[in-house]
Amino acid sequence: MIKPVIKGNSIAIPSDQEFLADVDVFVEGMLRGYGVDESTVADIAISVSELVNNAILHGNKSAVDKVVTVTVAKENSTVAISVSDQGTGFDPTQVDNPIDDENLLKEVGRGIFIVKSLMDDIDIQTTDRGTTIRITKSF
Amino acid sequence: MKLTDREQNGVMILEPRGKIMGGPDATLLHDKLYDCIQKGKTKVVIDLSRIEWMNSTGLGILIQSYSTLRNSDGQLKLARVTEKIQSLLTITKLEPVFDAYDSVEDAIASFE
Repeated sequence: MIKPVIKGNSIAIPSDQEFLADVDVFVEGMLRGYGVDESTVADIAISVSELVNNAILHGNKSAVDKVVTVTVAKENSTVAISVSDQGTGFDPTQVDNPIDDENLLKEVGRGIFIVKSLMDDIDIQTTDRGTTIRITKSF
Repeated sequence: MKLTDREQNGVMILEPRGKIMGGPDATLLHDKLYDCIQKGKTKVVIDLSRIEWMNSTGLGILIQSYSTLRNSDGQLKLARVTEKIQSLLTITKLEPVFDAYDSVEDAIASFE
């Protein structure tokens, strides 16, 4: 894959941050179509960008032959978004707490913390064949 | 993200626009800041009023800017922080790290 592919409510991108904006346009467009308010659109867009960055950099390790897939769905007044990579998984319990004093001025390591703060729920399914993170947010 | 800059009273004012989500965004602001320091311009204000939203990459850029300037005997001030960014700074306990002002003029005056 050399460019984003959109199928229905999903977008798949090569593992390159160049395509972050494509995901954002797709996701924000879907959310506005669902009637999600602008503040919540921004919170979800921030969260998705965190997960896609992690999927590209840490999951797929920027291997452009590996794909990151983002799927957007709505049930009643709740949005659910899944971000999947084709990496080798990670241990969610081994993520440093970014608000500990020794981590406060680190330039990285806040992504999942921010997602947990902004979203209603986060579910992490990770194996040695890939990671799927599902977030939900009511609006 | 797009970035413009101007100088006023010896203070560099950086004006990023759009969204800061990762990738080339980080390089753009870092390169501009490095350029400022190379030219001896170490009093810097980042006007955040035109940032639609930023993620942890944006926060990382602000921390990197703060640290880089401090290590060069300079200072970073933030101006016109949006509600969305303020919320992120609060969530991540970074609020006390940065000097933030309601206007660019106030931020510039704070260097005097």
